[in-house]
Amino acid sequence: MRYSSFTPYDIVLLLQGLGVSVGLFLATSLIGLLLGTVWAVIRYYRVPGLWQLMSFLAELLKNSPVLVQLFLVFFGFPAFFRVNMTPVEAATLTLSLNTAAFVYVIAVSAVESVGRDQIEAARVFGLSRWQVLRHVIGPQASAFAVGPLVALLVNQLQVTSLISVIGVVDLTKVGNILNLRTLKPFIVWTVVGLLYYAAAKLIAMLGTRLENRLRAHSAWKGL
Amino acid sequence: MRFDLSILWPHLPFLWKGAVLSAEVCLLAIIGSVVLGALVAIARTSSAKPLRWLALAYVDLFRNVPFLVQLFFFYYGLPELGIYIDAFTTGVIALSIAGGAFASDAIRSGILAIEPGIIEAAEVSGLSRRVIFTRIVLPIALRTAIRPLGAVLVNMILTSSILSAITLNELTGSGRIVASDTFRPFEVYAVLLVFYAALTYAVSIAVNLLHVRLNRGISQDVA
Repeated sequence: MRYSSFTPYDIVLLLQGLGVSVGLFLATSLIGLLLGTVWAVIRYYRVPGLWQLMSFLAELLKNSPVLVQLFLVFFGFPAFFRVNMTPVEAATLTLSLNTAAFVYVIAVSAVESVGRDQIEAARVFGLSRWQVLRHVIGPQASAFAVGPLVALLVNQLQVTSLISVIGVVDLTKVGNILNLRTLKPFIVWTVVGLLYYAAAKLIAMLGTRLENRLRAHSAWKGL
Repeated sequence: MRFDLSILWPHLPFLWKGAVLSAEVCLLAIIGSVVLGALVAIARTSSAKPLRWLALAYVDLFRNVPFLVQLFFFYYGLPELGIYIDAFTTGVIALSIAGGAFASDAIRSGILAIEPGIIEAAEVSGLSRRVIFTRIVLPIALRTAIRPLGAVLVNMILTSSILSAITLNELTGSGRIVASDTFRPFEVYAVLLVFYAALTYAVSIAVNLLHVRLNRGISQDVA
């Protein structure tokens, strides 16, 4: 086999990989955020039977390697439940559930960060449970949660690199392909690493801006 | 298909060997990352600006690039430099460097939490800067950092599963082999998932106990 050098088309390939990584990251983060919030609300209302199950599932997902979860879904589910599963579907399912588990934990502690006395006061004023959730807990909890959530998202972006192992052609897989073709590991992996780094920094920057906006009401404005 | 764990029975010794390999990697890597983390934490709290900047760059870089990409960088890159080492050593080195970035943050916050009065007292007693650091600052910092360092260890156990991507047959790698031998991926990965979760749960409980034990006599808001 003849090893070839880099071609201009490799840039397109890298950008395609980055697109797949970022696209899957955005999709799974969105699903995870929604699902995790729903889990937290189930816990908030203490839906009998369901919330203990949710807590257990979240602990299990949080405390096991994402790679094993991916293998379980990608190799295990088709064999056991006799369903067809493409790599992208398996990756979406696994990463969404994994994100949801972490979001659940953050959301629960965010809700608990709002003082009991505030909730009681709001109830005494005659607000319904939904109104309490919407107007009292929601704004404060989201301001509390945005910091940990941004850290989580930066981490989840890096976790997406694992889906290359089950065959999704994301940025890491493209790096692998280029590495095997050109045999220039230093250049390839430096470029791939820098692309991930730039994406992570972008998320962190957007997160800081969002946090500043959500915290604006409690910021010190001077006398 | 029926959920049947008994087919795993003959493969348990093989899986156990993988688990031992995982434990060895994690043990060596946690030692490596605490040593590296302590050095980097010293650099980050030093008064020399270039040193601080360099340490911050290291932490920032290795926290924001996926571990898989770092691993490939070392695994494919080191032979390019004429350094031929096996997957085990590469894995330990990569885990130590990545873990060191997280450990340094834990140790750094331990250093910053030390009361200035303690250091002033040591200076007044005429101890040299070196002795102050190795005999006073570092022991206190490491002791208060036990809990966050435990979180680093738990993360390392989970991250070590990624080493299966560079042909190291630790627990997850052995699981892959057993899954393809038995054609029962669901059972294998389900067992692995529960095993990892139980293991990390036990480790975090042990770390908590150790933390309480080492920090008895220190007021709770410091420990």
